[in-house]
Amino acid sequence: MQVYLPIAEMSVDALLLLGIGFGVGWLSGLFGVGGGFLLTPLLILIGIPSAVAVGSGANQTLGASVSGLIAQWRRGNVDVRMGAVLLIGGFVGSAAGVQLFAWLRRAGQVDLAVAVFYVVVLGTVGALMVRESLGAILRRRKAKAARLHEHLWIHGLPLKVRFRKSRLYISVIPPLLIGFFIGLLSAVMGVGGGFMLVPAMIYLLGMPTSVVIGTSLFQVVFVTANVTFLQAVQVGSVDIVLTMLLLAGGVAGAQFGAAMGTRLRGEETRALLGALVLAVAGALLWDLLRVPEQLFVIGPAP
Amino acid sequence: MIAALRLAWLLAVLMLGLPAGAQAQPAAAPPLAAELSTRRIEVTTAFTGGEIVVFGATERLIHAGGDEVVVLATGPESSLVVRQKVEVLGFWINGPAARFNRIPSYWALAATRPVEDMLAPLERAELRLGLDLLPLPQLGARGPQFRDALRELKQEQGLWVDQVRPVEVAGGRLFHARLPVPSTVATGDYRVQILLVRDGRPVARQELTIQVARVGSAAQIADVARDLPVLYGVACILLAAFAGWLGSVLFRRG
Repeated sequence: MQVYLPIAEMSVDALLLLGIGFGVGWLSGLFGVGGGFLLTPLLILIGIPSAVAVGSGANQTLGASVSGLIAQWRRGNVDVRMGAVLLIGGFVGSAAGVQLFAWLRRAGQVDLAVAVFYVVVLGTVGALMVRESLGAILRRRKAKAARLHEHLWIHGLPLKVRFRKSRLYISVIPPLLIGFFIGLLSAVMGVGGGFMLVPAMIYLLGMPTSVVIGTSLFQVVFVTANVTFLQAVQVGSVDIVLTMLLLAGGVAGAQFGAAMGTRLRGEETRALLGALVLAVAGALLWDLLRVPEQLFVIGPAP
Repeated sequence: MIAALRLAWLLAVLMLGLPAGAQAQPAAAPPLAAELSTRRIEVTTAFTGGEIVVFGATERLIHAGGDEVVVLATGPESSLVVRQKVEVLGFWINGPAARFNRIPSYWALAATRPVEDMLAPLERAELRLGLDLLPLPQLGARGPQFRDALRELKQEQGLWVDQVRPVEVAGGRLFHARLPVPSTVATGDYRVQILLVRDGRPVARQELTIQVARVGSAAQIADVARDLPVLYGVACILLAAFAGWLGSVLFRRG
């Protein structure tokens, strides 16, 4: 069944979009991440213009994260104060990211920039995740306890604030910077950034795992809302028909994924997610390196 | 239905025109009469592309060397950038770019036989009947490869159609042409020219217009997104959040 996307100005098979939404939703339910990092490249792969894929991908991630946030909020797993600090950084970062995106679009390098961002970020995060989770699996075999809390250089920074729910007393500078960086990537890549935020909160800030997912969802919902708004106003690239079709499939897929995720161990889940992230990075890298089928591309005049 | 009525009306006019000698003022039969099956192509949310159907009749019999028909449709002008991919440090990135201003977003040509055989090169160039004769003013990067790539890519997208299907002839004097319109087509007014060629010369010409317009929810969404981007952005956020909330409610029930 073909459906015409009014902003992308093309018709796409609605079942294909529902299927992609379902598949990505299934994986995001399984791994507890938004899945934007899979969605945007898949949309570009089926021929959606990069700008529309990024804008609508952020919008879809917003919808997908809301249901997770509601569930975490009920359980009291959201550190609002930490979320607010991350969010301030995130708003500034996503505003800067949308400017960067608009500038890249004028320069005609959006496709390259999106691909390079994906390869670098996904490659790094995927490699770290695989290494960390394999290490954890090995450590489990050796049964050696890891240190609970490490003191790093970031604990010496000024502007310290007490984050009660996270049981932390740290400077606001690291969370602000992390928020800024994730917001920037969110705008350029059309992702929520959960897959980067969760490890950053655990390893860089030392937050307890119980509040990490809820707080990251809190940040992701508001940052993707900001990106959606800015992309809609500045670039005009959010396709609501595309978003709703993806969400319809995604909401259903997430339930199956979440049910399956409870049967997997944490380390194994993280290793699988890391491998998946690496595979996406590899595919995109290959796309940059191979000789293109078409040596010319046409695009709208800026 | 409307198309059939129009055709019937057209034929009636032609028939009345034939016994010209019996009338006081002999109404000369038009050498060419053409009409479109519809004057409006509607782009709805279910739009998957369509076609411009041109039909009509000629005064004399259509055959090679006698009366021949050429149909040319052009869409609203647009500006495009053609970028060449270049290899930099092993990566393929967008390199030099050429800009083409005010070129037809849609262009389709059909004829009863290849126009190259029908018309002299000079005549053909004057009427711009051929993709190779389309003026494509190029800015920015130089070189003929950009123009060639533009023609090739536009034809691949189905937006420029160079005599893919001939104008069909039925009953010696009735003709019809179907010009395919892909789903990526631009909205606006399209010009359809019908030329009657006799002995290698254009002797009659008719011009019709067809409108491609977004209608229904597709039009409303695109209009709101363009005219009220702030409202549209807020609506996108609220709709996505609502869909997510609905999902969480359904999940709790089930």
